[in-house]
This record gives sequence, structure tokens and C-alpha cells, in this order.
Amino acid sequence: MAEEAIKIGGKKKSIFLDKVKELLPEGGNLNLCLTCGACSSGCPATGLEDMDPRKFLRMAALGMDDEVTSTPWVWMCTMCTRCMYVCPMKINIPQLVFNARASWPREDRPKGILGSCDMALRNDTCSAMGTSEEDFQFVVEDVLEEYQETQPEFKEMKADVNREGAQFYLNQNSREPVTEPDEMVPLWKILDLVGADWTYGTKGWAAENYCLFLADNENWEKIVRIKAKAVDDLKAKVWLNTE
Amino acid sequence: MISPKLVEVGRHINIELITCSEVKNLSGEPGNFEVSLVNHPRYIDPVKCTGCGECSRHCPVTAVNQYNMKLDDRRATYIEYAQAVPLAFAIDTDSCIGCGLCENMCVAKAIQYDDKERETSVKVGSVILSAGSKGYDPSGLDFIGYEYPNVVTSEEFERILSASGPYFGHLMRPLDREEPKSIAWLQCVGSRDTNRCGNGYCSSVCCMYAVKEAMIAKEHAHGELDCAVFNMDMRTFGKDYEKYYLRAKDKDGVRFVKARVHTIIEIPETGDLVVQYADESGMMKEETYNMVVLSVGLQIQPDTAQLAKLLGIELDKYNFAETNTFAPVATSRPGIYICGVLQGPKDIPGSITEASAAACLAGTELVEARGTDIPKVEVAEEIDVTGQEPRIGVFVCNCGINIGGIVDVPAVREYAGTLPYVAYTDENLFTCSQDTQEQIKEKIKEHKLNRVVVASCSPKTHEAMFMETLEACGINKYLFEMANIRNQNSWIHSKEPEIATKKAKDLVRMSVARAAALRTLKEKVVPINKQALVIGGGVAGMNAALSLGNQGFNTVLVEKEAELGGFSRKLHHTIEGDDIQAYLKKLGDEVTGHDAIEVLTKARISGFEGFKGNFSTEVTLGTDNEKRKIDHGIFIVATGAGEYPPKEYLYKEDERVVTQVELSDILEKKGTDGLDSVVMIQCVGSRNDENVECSRICCQNAVKNALDIKKRNPETQVYVLYRDIRTYGLLEDYYTEARKQGVIFIRFDQDAPPDVQPSSDGLLVTVKDHILQQNLEIRADLVALSAGMVAEDTEEMSGIMKLNRNPEGYFIEAHVKLRPVDMPSDGVFLCGTAHGPKLITETISQAQAAASRATTFLAKDSIKLSAITAKVDTDHCVKCLTCVRACPFGVPEFNTNEKLIEINEAICHGCGVCASVCPRQTIQLSFYEDDQIISKIDALLEAGGM
Repeated sequence: MAEEAIKIGGKKKSIFLDKVKELLPEGGNLNLCLTCGACSSGCPATGLEDMDPRKFLRMAALGMDDEVTSTPWVWMCTMCTRCMYVCPMKINIPQLVFNARASWPREDRPKGILGSCDMALRNDTCSAMGTSEEDFQFVVEDVLEEYQETQPEFKEMKADVNREGAQFYLNQNSREPVTEPDEMVPLWKILDLVGADWTYGTKGWAAENYCLFLADNENWEKIVRIKAKAVDDLKAKVWLNTE
Repeated sequence: MISPKLVEVGRHINIELITCSEVKNLSGEPGNFEVSLVNHPRYIDPVKCTGCGECSRHCPVTAVNQYNMKLDDRRATYIEYAQAVPLAFAIDTDSCIGCGLCENMCVAKAIQYDDKERETSVKVGSVILSAGSKGYDPSGLDFIGYEYPNVVTSEEFERILSASGPYFGHLMRPLDREEPKSIAWLQCVGSRDTNRCGNGYCSSVCCMYAVKEAMIAKEHAHGELDCAVFNMDMRTFGKDYEKYYLRAKDKDGVRFVKARVHTIIEIPETGDLVVQYADESGMMKEETYNMVVLSVGLQIQPDTAQLAKLLGIELDKYNFAETNTFAPVATSRPGIYICGVLQGPKDIPGSITEASAAACLAGTELVEARGTDIPKVEVAEEIDVTGQEPRIGVFVCNCGINIGGIVDVPAVREYAGTLPYVAYTDENLFTCSQDTQEQIKEKIKEHKLNRVVVASCSPKTHEAMFMETLEACGINKYLFEMANIRNQNSWIHSKEPEIATKKAKDLVRMSVARAAALRTLKEKVVPINKQALVIGGGVAGMNAALSLGNQGFNTVLVEKEAELGGFSRKLHHTIEGDDIQAYLKKLGDEVTGHDAIEVLTKARISGFEGFKGNFSTEVTLGTDNEKRKIDHGIFIVATGAGEYPPKEYLYKEDERVVTQVELSDILEKKGTDGLDSVVMIQCVGSRNDENVECSRICCQNAVKNALDIKKRNPETQVYVLYRDIRTYGLLEDYYTEARKQGVIFIRFDQDAPPDVQPSSDGLLVTVKDHILQQNLEIRADLVALSAGMVAEDTEEMSGIMKLNRNPEGYFIEAHVKLRPVDMPSDGVFLCGTAHGPKLITETISQAQAAASRATTFLAKDSIKLSAITAKVDTDHCVKCLTCVRACPFGVPEFNTNEKLIEINEAICHGCGVCASVCPRQTIQLSFYEDDQIISKIDALLEAGGM
């Protein structure tokens, strides 16, 4: 690698890492790296884009802000936090990644995530698939009816929609009602067997939040508020988020 | 290695061992403490128990063997390990079923099922706390595979490698007892980790023990063994440790991988372990090992912390005892001293040094009472047996049924009676028991015996005791001989009683033959001069002198410079922030104002003679070279070390390149003015071809100055270019703090050192970043070189005083682990950086340790020299000098005036090397003279051999 030397030293400049540190409790321990590599050893994204968590943090520490805020690697991170879990210094690398994502111009962020976030913002279901309130209710009732008939032991099983005052407000990843409706049922069965008092809602039922992954803080919050309001409106006691 | 120490402690007349006991309360004050104890029942009387082990052999109950880290079983009636002191068994009542077998088997009647918990108390003047630590328990970590059988802790692996361990020293893995072909060590499990275990400190010892375990595993392996040590930094910072590490790496092929492994996965079919890690370039590697060893750190146990609390001692956040930089072995409660890992993580030499230092302070407190509360030994007047025909008494031991169960002891006894000069024979259940000693004394008198043979166990553990029995009735102790018919006979031939009996007879016949040839030997008594000499007036020398002076021994402190203080005069503060100059001032005042201490400055050693207890040293003083002779009983070498003057990195060529000592001067005088960016380079003059060793203190020195810079100006950027950061023990917290403050650490390879170039805009330092694998060009206003330490030039002095130095110029101690402050010659001690690079706080404890060891001489009026020494028959000696070359202690000398070889018996160690190499057999080692050895061989061959 006959690259040009990275120039550092001289007068201290404010760098990206310092800004992220200010946002996090204990500065996310971002300064504490021992360069031991435990993070990279366990990261599913190590090696992608010639990057890994340790290298990413190192670049940030050396003030290589251009590289840190432009590498597409940040979008390959799954935010699983395996890195932080074993890090001897508990360095919050996922938050560094998150803030690096947030530094991207919105329109340059990955199309899939961007599109899903935008779709969820379109109506109050918050569904990244764009599923409407009516469609969701129809699919749930249709699937429920089918199982009640074909599996007599679940004849009494319920999957209420918009019932007020239930213990649990259950939400639902929006892929299932559209592509794999049968996948919803196992959880219903469990809830039925334990006698849980639960309901779906037509508003804010979609469990996923792509705006979070997009590091679009404003819309992430917006979506969370819609969902929270839906729970409150139905006077449910517990919001059961399956994501 | 530890066995002789155990035996010595067990037999020491001034040491009372109280085992199975816990401290419940401590009241009173220094000089007059009362310690309340709870004595837990042992259920076996340690006085009656002879350690024969019959109880354990017949115990039907198995229990988990904690001593072998739960890798095997023991009996409910047990002893932890064969060398345990006191050599007495115990009953583990948690697993005992009360069957009564052991009581039936115990011939010594030592079993006491009704033993009860008791409360006792002792009055003492000082207290030393040495409660130690345990290995970190990794069961709480869910990602390193400790749940798999073939993942073991280093403590477990130590037992696996041990000959007395669960697999008898065979290298095997737990799952299938197969010999592993590959082993990985994971460092820093339970250390340097504030996230998962909360132990932010470095445990100091794991790097070295991992290297050692890898080397021993390779020795034990029957074929190729792949050993890999996964580490962040290799911390081999102790004396000669770097050489050991390099041997493992370069000669023995142990691989050292810079990585922390994330997760370990077991292959269920084979029990092998898959280790995945990212190498430094970020490449994922996957390796399969037969076995994984977790290098667990040291951890203070909760009950120890509880004890400290009970004693009123303050602990730090990790539960190590709070101590002061300048009083490293004193706890927060006066009169209580501390040593070992409870003081802070450390290795064996460090622990032993501190133990002596703690003994020094504890003893100082008791100076007035010294010698008042110790038992007196009565020695009978010696009966002159010269010219008498030998009358030998032979005592054959049954050792319970250890010997008697296999060997026909009555037959051996009867046979002994037929041998020449044997006047009396007896057999005993336990020849070593207290009542048998009385019987032996009676029989010696009754039958006018002038030689004694005991046929029992090993002279290593029992000879000294039997010799005392002889002395007590006036028989010279060298008229004693032992035949080891247990360890070397009944234990080995337990399945062949006839052969064992025959061999026992042979061994007894040999011993009787030698006994007849033994001669009375006189142990020379030499008086001890009570004055001490300390050479070197730095922190080490001053502390040594003060420690001796405070114990009432007149001490002469010799310093070559005009002022006391040594190298420390150049230093400002310690990493903890303590003011070194203020300390030096106080220490200097104390030393110069002390009644018992005489300080000689501008003094050099110019002549030397004598031996332990009676040295005489000539000192040349001042500019007019006045000579003065000092007589002294011991001396302490504390000549110190200095900073290496760098030849590297434009030092002395560009004024912006300085050493760390100079940097701290700059910071003290000008602060960080004009310093936007500072680069520090480690290992300058250390860990290279010229000086292989690590200088131990430079990493913390760099961290200290880096923190000082950041404290003065957080905006100043600091870059530390290093090879391994070796902030061992509690120093790790400062390394963590430096990173927290934004100091950047960059590792470089020895083969690719940084490059420093001057430019109009500061210095340009180029170094390859170990993570990005790309060159960094750092613009710096100042480059600080972490120059290593170099020993003072002591060539002349070491020549005059015959003191050996290692290739680096540091003085050599008697034993690197067990005798870290003794020098090989008796009465000579060593401390401070003259021994090797170390911190001020370590220097102080070493100085106190040296003084403590010196006190063991100075407290006596005279010492008896062993009579086992070599003598030259000068009439037949051809002066070939073979003995001069062969003696490991440099004792034989050619006297050029008399033209004779001389062996000074006062300094002879009695090892016998000279006697065995002498080509003309003109050297005899008393007690092992040729005729005495040959008589044994003749006796063996007499019966046509075995």
C-alpha cells in the first residue's frame, strides 16, 4: 500500500469523534480503545469495504473525518452491538456508526432504507410496506377465521383489532401480513395458550422503524410518537414490540 | 522450589504455625496487639499425626480435589499436597461419612472425631497481612467458552502440567485425556477489562506465566506442539524476563498474536475449539486448537476484603490495600504491614521482597523486645568420641505401615544387628515422633552409642531433626547417617515386598558402613561485627541505612557524590503525583540526623577483605584521597542506575529532541508553552540488540509525562509510539486515564522504528500505524525519548568486592525468585536499581527487604558455619586451577605469595563441585569424604550387588 502518509499532529482540531463523544454518556468511552481487536474479531461486517469496527474507530480517533463520514461500511453494520458486548473498555462503536450515518446527506443514504422510512411516513400504520389500515385488518381477520376453522383446538383463538383496554397492544412487522400471513399465527397461539389479553390496532401497528436505521432522528421520533399515541388511544397497558 | 522454604518455616524455632484458623478481632495498638482467633477443627491432631497417609489411603469417600482445581478427586481424609506444612492430615467433614475406618487405621492415634471449634488469642507487637489473591473466575463471561471441557484456566493448566497434578504431569486435555497438538492462550481474562469484570488493573504476572506454560507444555509434549498466545501487549518487564520471552518466541517457536479473541466455539464431534480473530490488518482468521488456556488475572477474594475491613485497613476500589508511594508495605492502620498481591498485583520476587520489607518494619516496631520472647535451645556438652571404636545404633522405622506394611522391618532390624560395629538396634512405629526422640537419647546413653543410623525416609526433611537429637545428648551431629527405605524403597517396590526387604537391608548395610567411617566435625563459630555498610546514597541506600539504623544497628552509608539522593535528584513527581524532591529532603534529613548512621560522601571503595560477619572495607574519601578502613558484619549494595544517553532520533543534534527526564524538567519550568504536539518514543536503549532487557519504568514514565501535559493543557496533542505498553499492576489505570485524556498510542515494530526528521515547521515523525497499516506523519514541536535505564559503572567496585554482574551491568542476586535481595555471598545484600530498573516505591520496599535480611545476621552475636566444607591437600595439589574454574561461588583461589590453592571455609558452600572435578583427588569435602563414599559402594557390592 503505497498510499500517502496520513498527516496528523500540530495544533488540535475539533474532529468528528469529539462531537459524537459530547452526545454520549461517558463520551461513549470512544477514547479508550486498546486496539485489541475484540470488536473486529466478532463483527459480522469485518472485512466488508476493507473496514472493521477497530479500523473505523481508529480512523475517527486520528481525525480522518472524511473517510469516517463517507465509508458505505456504516450501512453494513447491523447495530447488533456484539462489538461493545465484549469490548474491555465498553466502547460505544454502534453509536459512532450511527452518528456517522447521520452525517450523510439524506438523499445519499441507501435507497432501501430510505424508501422504507419514507413509505412508513406516508400513513398512520407506519408500515414500511405501505399497507393500509383496512388491508391490515382484513388480513388479520381472514387468517384468524381460516385457523379457527381448520384447527379446532384453536377455535376460540382471538386476534382482536382496535379493542380498547387490553393488557397488551401487540405490533407486527409489516412484511408478514403482506407476504407471509401464516407467520403471524404462532405468536397468536402462544398468546392464546397463556391466556394473554391483547389486541392489534389499525394505527401504528407496524413494528419496524427504518427511520431509526436511516439515522433520520426527526422522523424516527415522529414514527415512535405515532405508535405510542395508538397504544394510548386504545388504553392498552403494555406496548408489546416484537422487533 | 517452595518445598525447602516450607520445611524451614515448619521447623523454625521462632515461628509458631497456627493453621485452620481465622482472625476474628484485633485490638490494641502497635507494640501491643491482641489477636482473637477462631481455630477450626482439623479432626486430626497435627502433633500426633506423622503424615504417613494411611488414613487417607483407607478412606472410602471421594471428594472434589480443590487443590487440583477440581480436575480430580481426593479422599475425605486428606492433605492438600505432599509438601504441606505442617505435614498433618485433616478430615473434610462436609464429605466424611463417619465410617470410622481412618481412626482404626491410624496407628499414631491422631484421629479426633470430637475435635471442636475453639477460640484462642495471641499477643503480638506487629501484624503482617499476606492474605493473597485467587485467580479470576471466568464462569461469568459467556463468550470465551469456559463451559467447554477443553477450555481451562491457567490455574487448571498449572495443575495439569504438575507432576503431582491430576494427570501426573502428562500433557492431556480434560475431555478425552488426549495429548493436545495445539494450545491457545488468551491473555487478560479478568484483567484490563472495565466492561465485563470491572478489573481495570493489569495482573502483572499472566504474560510471564503464559510464556512459561507454553515452554513447559512444549517440553512435556511428545511431538510438535503449536502454542499461540493471544495478547494485547506482552508484559515481560521483570529482570531477565525479556530474554525468556525472546527465547520462547525466536527459539522455541511460541507464536504471539496481537489480538483479543471474540468468541470460542467448540466442535462437538472432536472437542476442538475454533478461535476466530481479526489480525491487525483487519483480516479475519480462523484457527482450530485442541485446547484453550484462559490466562486469568489475580483477584482479591471477598473474604479477604472482609478481613481487611475487620482489621480496619483501607482498600482501594479493586480491594487492594491502600498504601503510600513512599511507604509501600505500611497499611492505613499503624502496626499492620502488608505484602504480596493484597498490596497490589505482583510476581514471586516482588512478593518475597515485600515480605522481607514487611518483616523489617514489623521488627523495627519490636526492637526493644527483640529476643525476649523466643524459646532457648539447650545444647549438651559434646562427648569426645575420637579414638573410640564405632558403636552404632540402628533405628528402623515402620512409618506406620508405610514401610512396615511392605518391608519386613523386624528382619531388617535383625540383619542390622549382624553388621560390623552395630551395638544396638531398634524398630519404631514412627522414628520421627517426639517420644521416639526421647527413646533414642536414652538408648544412646544406655548403650554408649557413638554413631546413629536411622533407616526411614528422606534426609531432606528429617536429617536436621535427628541431628538435633544427637546433639542433645552430646554426640557430634555429623556422626549420623540415614538410609531412605521409604521414598526410595517401600513406595517404589510396594508390589514386591521381598525385593523391598532385600533392598532395605542393602541400604542399611551401606549406611552402617558409612557411619563407621564418619568423623567428628567441628562447626566453626565466628563472631558477627554488628556494624553495617551501605554502598550508595540514593533512595535505596538511604532507606536501607535508615531501616538498619532504626533497628539500632550502626550503619555507615557511603556515597560517591557530594550529595545524597542519587538519580532521584533529577525527578519531580511520581505517577501518583507525590513530590519526590520533598521526599528526598525529608529522607536525607532523617538519614543525616540519625544517631546510628554515619554518612560518608565523595567516598569510593578502594579495598576489601573478609567474609560474612567480618568484612573490612577501605574507603577513599574526598579530593585529598584520605583512606579509611571500615569493619562491618554485612553490607548492602545500592549503587543505582541512570538514564541511557540516547544515540537515536537526532538526540543532541536537534534541541527539540529530549529524554523523558528532560521533558519533565521542561514541564516543571515552562509548562506546555509552545507545545501543540508532542511525540514520545518508547524503548530507546531498551529491548534492542545492545540491551535486550526491558527497562520496566519507561512506559509509566511516558504515561506520567503525557498526563502531566494533558493536565497543563488538554489541547496539546500527545502521541506515544510504543512496542508493548507495560503499565503493569495498578499503573494500568494511568494508561487508561491517558487514553481518556486523548493521548494516542501507536505501536511500531522493532524492525520498522519511527523516523524523525527536522523541518522548519517542527519535527516530522513518520511511523506506520499498526491498525491502518498506513504511514502517519506526525508534526511535533517536541519529541521525548523514553530512554531506558543503565546500571551505574560499577566495574571497579565489583572487581574489588568480588560481586558478580549480569551482561547489562546489574548485580546478580542469589536466586531470581526465592532470594531476590540476597547476593550469592553470605552477608551481602542488594537493593534498588543496582539490581535492575524499578520504580521508587519498589526500590523502597527492596531497600527495607535488604535491611531485613541483613538483620538476620546482625541480630546474632555469632554464627556457626557448616562443617561441610572443602579442604585441599596442598602437598599433592598440582595447582591445575580446575577447582578455581569449576566453583560456582568463586571460592577457591590461587595464593600467589604462598603458591597454594586456598579454600576459605567461611565462604565455602559445601556443594562438592571442586572435590568431584579435582583430577588428583586432592580436595575432600568433609562429611562426604572419599573413604566415606567408597565404604558405601563397597558395602553395596559386598553381597554381590542387588
